[in-house]
Amino acid sequence: MSSRFRTSCAFALVVALAMTGCNREERHSRSKPLGETVDTGASPDTIIPGGGTPQPLDPRAALYDNNSPAIAEGQQLFNKMNCVGCHSHGGGGMGPALMDDEWRYGGRIDQIAATIAEGRPNGMPSWRGKLTEDQIWKIAAYVRTLSGLPSKDVVGSRSEGISGPTPQTLTPHQQPRPSDTAEQ
Amino acid sequence: MKTKRVTAATLTLQLGACSYQTYQSDFANAGVEDRQFLILFWIFVAVCVAMYVLVIIFLIAGIARRRRAGDANVVETGRHHQSHPLLRGGLIGWAALVSTGLVGLAIASFFADRTMANAAANEKLSITVTGKQWWWDIQYNAADVSKTMRTANELHLPVGVPVRILLRSDDVIHSFWVPSFVGKQDLIPGRDTDVSFTPTKVGIFRGQCAEFCGVEHAHMAFVVDVEPYGDFIKWWERQLQEAQPPSTPLALVGYNYVTTRECATCHTISGTPAGGRVGPDLTHLASRHSIAAGTLPMGEGNLYGWVADPQSIKPGSKMPTVDLEPNDLHAVVAYLETLK
Amino acid sequence: MTQMSRFLVSVGSVLLLCSLASACQRKTTETTPAAAPGKAASAQSAVSADNGNWEMPGKNYASTRFSALNEITPANANRLGVVFTFSTATTHGFEAPPLVVDGTMYLITPYPNYLYALDLTQPGAPAKWVFKPKPAAASQGVACCGPVNRGAAYSNGRIIFNTLDGFTISVDAKSGQQVWRTAVANMQKGETITMAPLVAAGKVLVGDSGGEMGVRGSLTALDEATGKVAWKAFTTGPDKDVLIGPRFKPFYPMDRGKDLGVKSWPPDAWKTGGGTVWGWISYDPGLGLIYYGTSNPGPWNPDQRPGDNKWTAGIFARDVNTGEAVWFYQSTPHDLFDYDDINESILADIPWGNGRRPVLLRPDRNGYFYVMDRRTGQVLSATPYGYINTTRGIDLRSGRLVYAAEKEPKPGRVVRNICPASPGMKDWNPAAFSPATGLVYIPHNNLCQDQVVMEANYISGTPFVGADVKMYAGPGGNRGVFTAWDPMKRRAAWEIKEDLPVWSPALATAGNVVFYGTMDGWFKAVDARSGRLLWRFKAGSGIIGQPISYRGPDGHQYIAVVAGVGGWAGAVVAGKLDTRDPTAALGFVNAVKDLTTKTTAGGMLYVFALPH
Repeated sequence: MSSRFRTSCAFALVVALAMTGCNREERHSRSKPLGETVDTGASPDTIIPGGGTPQPLDPRAALYDNNSPAIAEGQQLFNKMNCVGCHSHGGGGMGPALMDDEWRYGGRIDQIAATIAEGRPNGMPSWRGKLTEDQIWKIAAYVRTLSGLPSKDVVGSRSEGISGPTPQTLTPHQQPRPSDTAEQ
Repeated sequence: MKTKRVTAATLTLQLGACSYQTYQSDFANAGVEDRQFLILFWIFVAVCVAMYVLVIIFLIAGIARRRRAGDANVVETGRHHQSHPLLRGGLIGWAALVSTGLVGLAIASFFADRTMANAAANEKLSITVTGKQWWWDIQYNAADVSKTMRTANELHLPVGVPVRILLRSDDVIHSFWVPSFVGKQDLIPGRDTDVSFTPTKVGIFRGQCAEFCGVEHAHMAFVVDVEPYGDFIKWWERQLQEAQPPSTPLALVGYNYVTTRECATCHTISGTPAGGRVGPDLTHLASRHSIAAGTLPMGEGNLYGWVADPQSIKPGSKMPTVDLEPNDLHAVVAYLETLK
Repeated sequence: MTQMSRFLVSVGSVLLLCSLASACQRKTTETTPAAAPGKAASAQSAVSADNGNWEMPGKNYASTRFSALNEITPANANRLGVVFTFSTATTHGFEAPPLVVDGTMYLITPYPNYLYALDLTQPGAPAKWVFKPKPAAASQGVACCGPVNRGAAYSNGRIIFNTLDGFTISVDAKSGQQVWRTAVANMQKGETITMAPLVAAGKVLVGDSGGEMGVRGSLTALDEATGKVAWKAFTTGPDKDVLIGPRFKPFYPMDRGKDLGVKSWPPDAWKTGGGTVWGWISYDPGLGLIYYGTSNPGPWNPDQRPGDNKWTAGIFARDVNTGEAVWFYQSTPHDLFDYDDINESILADIPWGNGRRPVLLRPDRNGYFYVMDRRTGQVLSATPYGYINTTRGIDLRSGRLVYAAEKEPKPGRVVRNICPASPGMKDWNPAAFSPATGLVYIPHNNLCQDQVVMEANYISGTPFVGADVKMYAGPGGNRGVFTAWDPMKRRAAWEIKEDLPVWSPALATAGNVVFYGTMDGWFKAVDARSGRLLWRFKAGSGIIGQPISYRGPDGHQYIAVVAGVGGWAGAVVAGKLDTRDPTAALGFVNAVKDLTTKTTAGGMLYVFALPH
């Protein structure tokens, strides 16, 4: 083999490997209908009596958690579905702040999706049947960016309109804590 | 075999598209502005073709002409040499011809522009079009605000009446273009732009978004239906009416689904609890010519296809695929068809 | 001792004792000052003799919030001290006044709306009973500005109040047992109730909340004895829903017409048009009229509702028995900035020509202090009481507010430096009127904002706003002001600049001492004539609640207030919001980012008196 052939082979291999890592840009516009019957009951962090492992992460998380189009669509849905009306742009209002590290009902993406779908006792409405599962997961993916949880190459770098909190690329990563000092 | 099948398919598609999709033509001469454009167009074509023909003649003459003896021996000596009188006259004449032509084109342009502007000055109808990915939110404005009317993806205009369309965008830059009436005008987020024109021919015409605005830009068309004035007023009044309550049991099931489930979070149906403003107003959906901003012609089968799985027809659009049970699908489409 | 000398000694000692007694303690007396010429005075028809109680949040039907007790004066106010305290066991923002009726004090808390009865005749005022209405927890999710409650009312042996989830409840004042409970508002549509009911002429008047949730505003009258609905007047919709009939005679042509509650809106927009009645109602028994204001139209984005948007952001006068509208004035047609009109209407009589004229005194959200004839709705004067750049004034001929076109919000564009900001020059917290000084004591804001509007999506039970807002201090840098306003001279007599917005109501007393609280917890007594600070006390939490003055069982004057920061202004503390998002709490968080360092949440009653 000539050295030129070897170089182009190596180059092609590198490019091929890089392409497989592009999950963050994969659009699931024709996502398989997720169905209303699939269990989204990811419970918040609780005591597990008798020991054992906590509930594993829902397999759908990988499709949404670090996915750019999902986060971008989630942001649009967050604005249009009036989440901003209660939670503002993460700071809270009628509803609690979503940009801090306290997650009363859990801060994993599947727990956030469960919160949106089921509603919660102190005023969070239940969106099951009003939004599709796909839309709920997209909103959950966006909510995670408010506390800087997804990786920074996935999120948007521009804040629109009135200058709100810092753009998502500058939002510091705040590890979710299942605490509840913001009592209602 | 394969080629035959492909040809048959494209032919069917083209025939199926006959109803409105063929009427997207600059040469329709359907509006005052379009007529001015056509006049100007033909003037330009005439002048430019004439000049082009002359140039070609001179070029061919230049190539084909024999060399005369002695011409090759002309050497630059640094002294002025007298040019051939015919050549000088010809050059002056050519320059004069070009200038006249350009001045003529400029004058024609000016008059066309002024005529269009004057036609636009007295608009009698005001419409606000908000571009959204990937559909057109249309609102007819009236001095009596209780007569303002909201519709989507379809403009009805009275023939001969100047109309001014205020253009806004909710998200990215779009462009409003109905070739049969007027040129393109951008819809820019955060700004108000406007376009004015006067339709002069009754008929159905097609418009298209003319600024790339995302994955479904190609499927962001709209229909313009130009009608006599009386028909236009009747259409406006019918659009102001609330949706009729469902009359059959199947439509009632559909009504319950549409107004209490996913549909109502994005769509408005006047006279029902559904008040969403993310998607088009559906109050008179079944009276429109197309579904999903010109993507599909209106019809029962197309409605079924769109409601069942919009993502396979317009992938990436904001309408999600709701996994409807077959009975729910029948009920929803039955109800939507009553929304005339 | 001789008989004469003994007699002289006893007379002398009696005289000495008497004079000593009167010098040490001037017992509380009732003095309603006579009206001096050139000064506003109490509305004769709406203010009865002061019995030392505090039976409704406004003190009386004229909403003067003026106590005729005069034991506390500028001379002795600096000796005020705490007599007892009581923890209400809530921390959500306490806006209600304590009620005092013949030796019992009643406290209505924010969610979960506990009603306490404290026995003032016992030392330490122990609780006699507590009534727990147990409102639905989910109603907290549709309450825009804190799950607050603005007060209860006492009438005919019953305490009547509203719960957050939309019920009006009548409780026996002695036993604490429920007498009746009526559903008035529907939480699923986004409606809640936060206002204090007014009990007048055998009717309980209850208005809904939810102008930010796309609800349809209304005022309901319940029968005081049974709780059954007597009449209900909507704020938008056809005339028959708004109870507009032949008696309706608005003063200005802009408010005249048929079915304006439909015609001044795009089709169907009036069904989600707001105009809720979450503020204060006054009553003139002489004219038989109730006066109240309606909230902002919904959504905040004005682009979705062209037209005047009747009958929002205006004042209604209605017949208390039938609810029919007698007149209406729209202070802010086609509101652009959430200038609700629900502020209090203080009934007063002012000198006019050779006689007196019955008026309403209204420090409005839009920044103007209105003096209006309460028989007809005519605006006699409208004067800015702070810095305004959103409007240029009121055209007194047409009655119309004149907007500054450059401040009009347009979709997708940020408009900056809008003054006053959306909480208005003054929000719900009511002013007090002292007939002794003729001044209106206005606790208010000095805030400006940036705003951008966008299309609002209507989903019932969720917010219907369409605006992002960011507020900050207005000119001068102080975010609050306490102004003593002379309604006759149409200017401030004096004012006190406060660092934080003044979100507490005011209390005026006949001793010429005025009380108010600040958001960082200072409860202040100032001289009613000069504004000089006489005394202050640092409470455990910011004060946004109505202070009251009552005569205790021992005959002395007491001042009571509950300290518990919250509401819209205090949401950053009460709701534990994040200060890194300036648009949080509809923009208020940006204005009071420092509040978290200055106070904490609470709900503690403090009762003060002079040492005795």
